Amino acid sequence: MPSARALAPFTLVDHHNKPFTQDSLIGQWSFAFFGYTHCPDVCPNALGMLKRVQTLLETAGDTPLPRVLFVSVDPARDTPETLASYISYFHPSFVGLSGEDEELMRVTRQLGILYGRSPGGSDEDYLVDHSATIILLNPEGHFQAVFGMPHDPEKIAADFVAIRNWYEESR
Amino acid sequence: MTRATRKVNPARGGRESAKGCKGCWALAGFVMLWAGIAPAADTLEINDAWIREAPPGAPMLAGYLCLDNSADTAVTLVDVDSPAFRHVMMHRTETVDGMARMMHQDEVIVPAGKRVCFEPGGLHLMMPAPEQRLVAGDQVELVLHFADDECRRIKVPVKAP
Repeated sequence: MPSARALAPFTLVDHHNKPFTQDSLIGQWSFAFFGYTHCPDVCPNALGMLKRVQTLLETAGDTPLPRVLFVSVDPARDTPETLASYISYFHPSFVGLSGEDEELMRVTRQLGILYGRSPGGSDEDYLVDHSATIILLNPEGHFQAVFGMPHDPEKIAADFVAIRNWYEESR
Repeated sequence: MTRATRKVNPARGGRESAKGCKGCWALAGFVMLWAGIAPAADTLEINDAWIREAPPGAPMLAGYLCLDNSADTAVTLVDVDSPAFRHVMMHRTETVDGMARMMHQDEVIVPAGKRVCFEPGGLHLMMPAPEQRLVAGDQVELVLHFADDECRRIKVPVKAP
């Protein structure tokens, strides 16, 4: 298992309008998915899938559950207020994050996440291409693992348990 | 294939079926059968249609369905519209090297004897959410337009997966 990587400082804003930094990751496992609220297919699929992962872990008694972070790659349209109603729909514990382009880039660059507006569209009506990978961050706030597509909740839940057990034994 | 950036013709308005639609099967199928015209209704089935309930305030919705073509010729879906939405676009989510992007589809071909599905993570319909939020249990009408001016009107349930 490759060693986890510490993250350089960043400051995003959560859907309660509170700052969310690299230190906010400390203390629990987190899954992070990068998307946007205008995305009708990929993003609801991924968030629904992560909810399923949590349910599987909860049913198996694998608590505490990892937190789910939804990071918007559409800072122009996704405000904390927009994200609040959007993310709470999936689960009250899910956290929606947004931030200025520069801060967002600080996060995405170190996690290998790419995003960019599709050519065309207008300032109000456009699509965003984005990495659909799921990132796992450990309780030290370090970048631990990546889950590529396709996303199978059973497999991700099993892999998470294996990674967490390995992490705890190796400490 | 073009990128998902087609502009919607404002003149069309979305409220009316702008494409020439020589009677929709849901309404006119009986007459056409009686008239002895080979109806696509016999050989084309639209199954498992649903629209995903979206979070409050989500600006876009996705719809899914399967087209089963038992004819010995291909069927081409060229457009979808609905009285419930300003417009409906046909998109395909493509994930290449972990990067997801939506590609606009001008048409979707269902080969003879084949099933083509719009499903999560692949082909899907994308429409702007109406002012009044759609919730699980609601029904929405979609009009599917095929090449040769055929069309089909269906009732589609909103579901929370």
